Amino acid sequence: MQTRVIRVVHYLNQFFGGVGGENKADVGPQVRNGPVGPGRALQSALGGEGEVVATVICGDNYFAEKMEEASGEVIRLLSSCRADVLIAGPAFDAGRYGIACGAVCKAAENKLGIPAVTGMHEENPGVDLFSRNVYIVKTGETVAGMAEAISRMAGMALKLANDQDVGRPSEGGYFSRGLLVNVMAEKTGAERVVSMLLAKLAGEPFEPEVTLPKYDRIEPAPRIKDIRSATIALVTDGGLVPKGNPDRIEQRHATRFGAYSINLVDPLNRDGYEVNHGGYDAVFVNEDPNRLLPVDVMRDLEKEGVIGKLHDTFYSTSGLASVVKSSEKMGKGIAEQLKAGGVSGAILTST
Amino acid sequence: MRLGLDILNIKDVQFAGKTSLGGGVLSINRRELQGLLQEDRRLSRVEIELAHPGDKCRILQVADVIEPRAKTRGSGHDFAGTLGGQGNVGEGSTCGLRGAAVVMGGGSAFLKDPIGGLIDMSGPAAEIGIYGKTHNIVVLPYPSAGIDLPDYAKALKIAGLRTAVYLAKAGEGLKPDENEVYDLPPLTEVAKGMGKLPKVAYIFAVLSTKHEPITGEPILYGSNIDRTLPTVIHPNEVLDGAIISPYRAAGMETYVIQNHPIITELYRRHGKDLCFTGVIITTAPDSEYEYERAATMVANMAKRIFGADGVVLNKTGMGAEEIVPARTAERCEELGVRTAYAMFLHGADQSDAGSGADTLFNMRGVDAIVNMGTTYMKHKLPAVDRIIGDPVSLPGGIPVNGNIEVTVAAIKGALSQLGHSRITAVRH
Repeated sequence: MQTRVIRVVHYLNQFFGGVGGENKADVGPQVRNGPVGPGRALQSALGGEGEVVATVICGDNYFAEKMEEASGEVIRLLSSCRADVLIAGPAFDAGRYGIACGAVCKAAENKLGIPAVTGMHEENPGVDLFSRNVYIVKTGETVAGMAEAISRMAGMALKLANDQDVGRPSEGGYFSRGLLVNVMAEKTGAERVVSMLLAKLAGEPFEPEVTLPKYDRIEPAPRIKDIRSATIALVTDGGLVPKGNPDRIEQRHATRFGAYSINLVDPLNRDGYEVNHGGYDAVFVNEDPNRLLPVDVMRDLEKEGVIGKLHDTFYSTSGLASVVKSSEKMGKGIAEQLKAGGVSGAILTST
Repeated sequence: MRLGLDILNIKDVQFAGKTSLGGGVLSINRRELQGLLQEDRRLSRVEIELAHPGDKCRILQVADVIEPRAKTRGSGHDFAGTLGGQGNVGEGSTCGLRGAAVVMGGGSAFLKDPIGGLIDMSGPAAEIGIYGKTHNIVVLPYPSAGIDLPDYAKALKIAGLRTAVYLAKAGEGLKPDENEVYDLPPLTEVAKGMGKLPKVAYIFAVLSTKHEPITGEPILYGSNIDRTLPTVIHPNEVLDGAIISPYRAAGMETYVIQNHPIITELYRRHGKDLCFTGVIITTAPDSEYEYERAATMVANMAKRIFGADGVVLNKTGMGAEEIVPARTAERCEELGVRTAYAMFLHGADQSDAGSGADTLFNMRGVDAIVNMGTTYMKHKLPAVDRIIGDPVSLPGGIPVNGNIEVTVAAIKGALSQLGHSRITAVRH
């Protein structure tokens, strides 16, 4: 395949872009042809593989004061430059500049679908805000680290633009994004698993290839003293939602839950609900939603006086390939609402 | 039990007037093969296409892939229990055509994703998947009117297996390019002369019952094993056609079972680094009662029947099923049997910079875990000239022969539950 020259666009603030100092921090986004300021070092680091075709410059205050708008304007300029990759900064420890670099990189990836890389010092607030969204190479605190930062950013940008592996965070010198990425090991899974077993049997050290989850220990709530006067709620991760999924709960990796009234409902009517979950065969639940969320049985128990009352709202999300952090957040949210609703017990139905 | 695998290396496949093999070139009489497969009344017609490494060709809705294999006359049954009656497998000799593969189309009846089960013959998918490197004989069966899913499922598998046998018969009587020997005596004798080598058994999880199994689907000697208890089986039976891949078993084609990477690796190191004592097959049941029972029985077999010092485990299915081998491993560890577990990461936190966990479990003693990649990695695939299969459009109207993006799990033969792949996942 013929190697193409990667079209690089460089983002700089007013200072590095040569517009001026703090007094020019409120200038809006503007574009220049070719490299500007540190862009010249960037061009030489890219060698013949990439060309800095344009530089977008924006004042730090302008960006910080209206991030959404400014980021949109930068994206419009970027798309007119037909960029293959965006390089922003480096911002070192400059907070407003770091945040702007992170935001434009994130927008370039999300809105234009092009890879982006920036560089910051670990204490830059942009690292906390954007290291999960974009590649940020580690730099020194000040411009003294410019040459090294530029060289790392250039290398990373070329790899990203050419769909090549950027290596682990320690190899690539960037802040971990936490993203799982496939690479090729030296040996097959079969060879590795047999070798790992033999090492374990021999009492030799071995390196597990996974990080295991650490679970919180939750103190169980005290038992219900009088179930005959207790309000009991129904909670499910089986994805039961009113038809049309009004809260747009995700089918997998859910981050949201829904709270739906079942006041006076007896039992659930299948015409009003559907299953929003891709991980199990939902035929039976779609036929009779009470088989996932047993409102019919709970109403019987209510009438028989076995329980005090069925809570008038049920809570639902989709438990499929869920991220532990999101589940914890949803769990806390549901528990708070149950507590506020005077619920003393909950039945969780899972699939 | 001793199995000799006579390998003939295939360098090219072509249609011709007569089915034969010579100079590494497999010639196929297309009409004769079609006629043979169309004898099955459950199929209205069967198309056959060829796809070669390097072709700008994309095969879609692949249901299974099978290596052409045929038992040498008098030494047992071809795919016993599935093709015809029960009979011996794992002994004597078998002829195999290496470098060729029977690719079964028609998988749309079993796939949620219309392009799931994709093979590209060139480009990045051909690099990471194994079936872009084989000369593929693609079999496209069409169901007869009124045929239900269980009947179609059976007919589809049988068409593929019959093709595999028909093709391998062309190698009968020819001098093999290579000969692989798999020889393992009964349990009572296996440790003789092995000194202090650790005794290792393999626990092969074959079927997940998370989704309703397909009635009548041939898996073990022709029958569905959704209610099977853990069973002892000789490794040669696995290699020689006793087990056919379940339709919904991701990353576990029949081709890989015939060349089972963990079993062949245990054989390779048998007598050198370990003493391979045998195989226990099991399933991933979807109820706690059933998987606790399976885990307990497997651990007892490993410890008290095999006398194993260690076991290797794999998983089947996607996310939730990874708990079952983990629980089995924990039960083994409780009995003093050391464990190592190979799995791909489907239930993992895909993007958590802080505490991102790779598994859904954390069990005592289950610490030797090999990571065989994330299922969610995306790959951009270039446009192709030719589509074999149903040319569906992707969401947004993107033509499937154009530039598309798919997850690695959609590429047949890329990820493997049985360890053929070198793919592993790291945190970026």
